[in-house]
Amino acid sequence: MVNPVLLIAVPLGLAFAIPLFNLFWKATAKYIPLVALAFNLVVSLLLLTQVFENPVIVSIGGWRPPFGINLVAGPVGVLFSAIIALVGLLVSVYALDYIKEGPTEKYHMLYLLLLTGATGVVLTGDIFNLFVFFEILCISSYALVAYLRDKAGIESAVKYLIQGAVGSSLLLIGIGLLYGLFGTLNMADIAQNIKSISPISVFVPMVLIITGLGVEAAIFPLNAWLPDAHSSAPSSISAILSGIAIEVGLYAVARVIFTIFGASSIFLFLALLGILTLLVGEMCAFSQNNIKRMLAYSSIGQIGLILFALAIATSYGVTGGLFQLVSHTLSKALLFLAVGYMIHQTGSLQISALEGMGKKMPLTCLAFTIGAFSLVGLPPFIGFPSKFLVVRAALATKETYFCVLIGLALLGTVIEGAYFFRVVQVLYFYPVRYEKSSNGVKGEKPNPRRKEAPIIALISMFIFVALIVIIGIYPKLVTDVLSSAASELLNRLDYVRNVLG
Amino acid sequence: MSLQILLTVAFGGALVTYLLGKTSAKVRNFLAVAISLVLVVFVAYLYGKPLEKTFYLGFFGLGLVLRLNMFSWFFAITIAVVGTLSIIFSLSYIRAREKTDFYFLMMLLVNAAMLGIVLAGDLVSFYIFWEIMSWSAFLLISYNRGPALAAGMKYIIMSVIGSLCFLVGMLSLYVSFDTLNISQIASAITSASSGYILFILTSFGIAFGIKNAVLPFHTWLPDAHSEAPAPFSAVLSGVLIKMGTYGFLLILYVIVGLKLFLGLGSSIFSFHSVLCLLGAITILIPTFIAMLQTDAKRLLAWSTVGQAGYIILGIAFGTNLALAGGIFHFFNHSLFKALLFLAVGAVEFRTQTRDLDSLGGLAKKMPVVFIATLVGICALIGVPLTSGFVSKWLIYKSLILEGSPFLAFFALVGTWGTILYSYKLIHNVFLGQLPEKYKDIQKSPFSMQLPMIVLSLAILVFGILPGIPLKVINAIGISFGFESLNVTLWGIASETGTLNTINIFSTVLVAAVLLWLLFRLGAKSVSIPQEDSYAAGAHTPADKYHYTVEFYNPLHRMIKPFLRDVIDEFYYWIAASVRSLASSVKRIYSGDVGYYVMYIVLFLSLLIFAQMKWKLW
Repeated sequence: MVNPVLLIAVPLGLAFAIPLFNLFWKATAKYIPLVALAFNLVVSLLLLTQVFENPVIVSIGGWRPPFGINLVAGPVGVLFSAIIALVGLLVSVYALDYIKEGPTEKYHMLYLLLLTGATGVVLTGDIFNLFVFFEILCISSYALVAYLRDKAGIESAVKYLIQGAVGSSLLLIGIGLLYGLFGTLNMADIAQNIKSISPISVFVPMVLIITGLGVEAAIFPLNAWLPDAHSSAPSSISAILSGIAIEVGLYAVARVIFTIFGASSIFLFLALLGILTLLVGEMCAFSQNNIKRMLAYSSIGQIGLILFALAIATSYGVTGGLFQLVSHTLSKALLFLAVGYMIHQTGSLQISALEGMGKKMPLTCLAFTIGAFSLVGLPPFIGFPSKFLVVRAALATKETYFCVLIGLALLGTVIEGAYFFRVVQVLYFYPVRYEKSSNGVKGEKPNPRRKEAPIIALISMFIFVALIVIIGIYPKLVTDVLSSAASELLNRLDYVRNVLG
Repeated sequence: MSLQILLTVAFGGALVTYLLGKTSAKVRNFLAVAISLVLVVFVAYLYGKPLEKTFYLGFFGLGLVLRLNMFSWFFAITIAVVGTLSIIFSLSYIRAREKTDFYFLMMLLVNAAMLGIVLAGDLVSFYIFWEIMSWSAFLLISYNRGPALAAGMKYIIMSVIGSLCFLVGMLSLYVSFDTLNISQIASAITSASSGYILFILTSFGIAFGIKNAVLPFHTWLPDAHSEAPAPFSAVLSGVLIKMGTYGFLLILYVIVGLKLFLGLGSSIFSFHSVLCLLGAITILIPTFIAMLQTDAKRLLAWSTVGQAGYIILGIAFGTNLALAGGIFHFFNHSLFKALLFLAVGAVEFRTQTRDLDSLGGLAKKMPVVFIATLVGICALIGVPLTSGFVSKWLIYKSLILEGSPFLAFFALVGTWGTILYSYKLIHNVFLGQLPEKYKDIQKSPFSMQLPMIVLSLAILVFGILPGIPLKVINAIGISFGFESLNVTLWGIASETGTLNTINIFSTVLVAAVLLWLLFRLGAKSVSIPQEDSYAAGAHTPADKYHYTVEFYNPLHRMIKPFLRDVIDEFYYWIAASVRSLASSVKRIYSGDVGYYVMYIVLFLSLLIFAQMKWKLW
C-alpha cells in the first residue's frame, strides 16, 4: 500500500534538490524531473488499481479531518496525478534536448515545482491547501512563460502575472469568506454544512472562488492571458500549460462546484459559458496566422467543450468531460511538442513559414497531423470516443437547451476542422519554402538547418501518438477509471462520508 | 471470421505497401495491385454467403458488427473492382510524380475504408470507416496542389458537416433505443413517432446527401473531382459518392423500412416525394451546367452530379422496378464514369491538358482510349446494348407506369442534356482536327489501357446480358421488402412490357452483318489523311478549323443566365461571414491587460448583481 503523500513529497523534495545537484554535477539537473515523474507515474498507476472502491485518505501529521489537512486519493485525484506524471515525464524527455540555452537548472526546478503544485491541487482535501498548491502551480508557470527572456515572453508573463494575481486574490477572498462562514477549511466538512447557511451568503464566496479558479482554468472572459502566455512560452512549457495547467484549473472548478457547493442551479449557466468559450476560442483560432497562438486559442475552445460536458452533470456528461480532458491533454501536448521543433527549424511562428515541412520533417509532421485529426474528433484517434461520449451525454438529457448547445458545439468543431486541415495542407501540399540567401535575393538552396527533430524528441512524441491511437481504438482501457472518477465527482455524500467517517 | 480477415488484409495491406514502398517502387506497385486483386477475389468468393460477426472491442460496451448480405456484397464487389482498376491505371499515371508511396497508401486506405463501410452492421463501425474514408479522400484530393487545395478544403468542410449530422442522428438513435446495431434499430424504430422518424431521416439524409452530391449539397463535387488525380477521380465518382447511395438505401429501406418511409407525411410534402423532387432537380440543372464546361474533368464531374440524381430518383421512388433501376444505375454509373475519368486521365497524361478548347482529333492517335470513351458515352446516354440503357429503361418505365409525368419529363430532359454534353466531350477530344502540338504524342501504356478495356467489356456484357447483375439486384429488392421482379438472363418481363436484350442484340448483329456485307461488296472507299480538309478551295490548317470553342454557343447564351450556381455562392457567402465574424470576435483579445483585468472584475460583478437582482441561482 503506497502512501499518496509520496506523490507530492518526492517531486517537491527533488525540485528543491536540483540547485544543490547543479552545484556539484551540472549535467544531472535535467534528469531529475525524469526520475521524479517516473516515480510519480509508477506510484499513481499502483494506486489507481486500489482506489476504485474507496479513496485513500491520508491525514497529514496524524491530525484527523476536519482539523488537519488531508489528502483524498480517490479515482479523480489519482487519475489526474497519473496524467500529470505521464505527460510531465514525456515532456521532460522532450526537454532534454529542447532546452539548451539559458539557466536550464532553473527551468527544470520550476518545471518540477509546477507539476508538484498540479499534483497537490488534485490530491488535496483542504481548500486552503488547494490555494497553496494552486499558487505554486501558477507562480512557477508565470516564471516559465518568461523563460526565453525575449520581449514577447516577458510581456506575456507580466500580463499573465497580473491577471493571475487578480484571480488568486479573488480566490483567497472567497476562501476567507468561506472560513468565516463555516469555521473550517476542510472540503468535506464545508460540504456537509453547506445547507446550513443562507444561499446568498454562500453564493458570493462561490462566485469569487469560481472566478479566481476560472482565470487559471481559461474560461471566457477570464482567459485573455492564455493566447499570449501559451504562444510566447517555450514549446515544452506550452505543452504543459495547455495540457495540464488549465485542466487542473478546471478540475479545481469542478471540485468546488460538485463537491463543496453541490450547486446544481449553476450548471445551466456553466454549460452556456462553456459553449461561449468554445465558440470564441475556435473563431479566434480560425483567424490566426501564428501557429502557437492558433493552438492556444484552440485550447480555449476545448476547455469550453470540457466545461460544457462537465456542466451536463450526469454520469455520461462528467465521464465524457473527463474523457475529453484526457484526449485534449494528450493531443494538445503532442501538437505543441511537434510545433516546437518545426519553429526551431524555420525560426518563425508564422503558419506560412511551415510550407512544405512535410518533406523535411516527415515524422514530426505526421505526429502533428495525428494530433490535429485527434483533436477534431476523427476516428480512429482518441478524440472520437471522447466526442462521442460528450454528444451522447448532451442528447441523453433530452432537453432542448442542451441539444441546441451541442449543436453549436458541433459548429465549433467544423471551424476547428477548417483551421487544422488548412495547416495540414500547408505542411504537406505546398512546395518547400526557400529562404533568402545572404545577398537578399530569393535563393535556390533550401535552408540546410531544416532536418528532422532529434531522436529523443521523436520518442517522446511517438509515445503520445501510440497512446492516442491505442486508446482511440480501445477506449475501454480508460473508461472504467473515468466512470468511477465521474461518480466520485457526482456523489458528494459519498465523498463526505469517506473523508469524515 | 472471413470478414475480419478481409478488412485486416485491406487495411494492413495498405500499411505494408506504404512501408515496403520506401525500399522499392517495383515491390510497392506489385503489392498494391496484388492486394486489390486479392480483395476482389475474396469478395467474389463470399458471394451468397450471409455472414455476421459481432466484436466487443471495448467501445463503451457497444458490439461492433460486421455483416455481409446481398446488399453489402453488391456494393463491395463494385468497390473492389473499381479500386483495383484504378490502381492498375495509376501504375503508369503516377510514376513521374512525387510522394507516390503516400498516393498508393491513400488509394488503398480509401478502398479499405469503403469496404469497411459496406460491411458494417452497426452504426459506430459505419461512422468510423466513413470518417477514415473522408479524411483519406481529403488528403488524396489535395495531392495535386495548386487549385486542388481549395477543392480539398471545400470537400472536407462539407464532409465534416455531413459527418456531424450523422453523429447527431446516430447518437439520437442510441439514446432512444439503447442500441446501435442496425437490425435491432430497424425493429425498434417501428414504434417511434413519425416526427422522430422524420428527424432521423433528415439528419442522416443531410449526411448522405452531401456525400452523394444531391442538390443543394453538391457544390464540393465539381472542384474536388476535377482537381483530384485522374485514377482517384475515377474512384471518387465511381464509388465514393455511392457510399452516400449506400447510406440512403440503408436508412430508407433497411432501418426505416419501406412502409414507414412511404407513409411519412402527406402527398406533396412527404419525405418520399421531396426526395424524388430533389433527385429530379439534381438531374436537370447539373446536366445542363455540364454542357457549359470547357474542362473535360469538370464536365464529367457535373455529369456525375446529374447521374446521381437518377440514382436518387430511382431509389426514392418506392417501386420495385424503380429501385432496381436506381441500384443498377449506381452499378452502371460506377463502371462508365470510372471508364470516362480514366480515359480523360489517359488523354491528360499524354497531352498534359484537360482543356476541351485546345484538344482535338486524337481518335487516330489514341484508338483504344477513343473506343473506350465511345463505349462510356453510349452507356452514359443509354444507348441500347450498353448497360446504361437497361437501368435508364427501368427508371423511365417505372416513372411512367406510376403516373409521374413531371418526374418522367425531368428524367427525359436530363437524357437530352446528357447526349449534348457527351457528344461535346467525345467530339472536342477525339474527333475533328488534330492540333499541331499533339502530332507526336504516343498511345497510352498498356497498364492504362487494360482497365479501360476491362470496363468497356463489362459495360457491353452487362448490356447484352443484364440478367447477371439484375439477379443480384432483385435479391436486394426482395430483402428490402419489395416484390420480386421477373428477371431473366436477357432482361425483365413485366406485365406492361418486356425488356429483352437478346432481341435487340440479335437485331443489331444482323443489321451490322448486313451493313458490313454491303460495304464490302459495294464501291471501294478512298482513305484520306485526317488533316486533308479544304474550305473555299484552300487547304485549312488544323488549328484554325477545329470547331470546339464555344461548342454550343446558341444554347449557352439561352440558358447560361439560368444556370448561375447560386448555391455555391451562398456557401461562399456563409464562409465569408464566419470569417469576418471570427475577425471581429478576435478583437475581444485586444492586448491591453487593463481590459483583461476589467473582464475578470466585470464577470464577477455581473454574476453577483444578477443573483441579487433576479435571484437566478
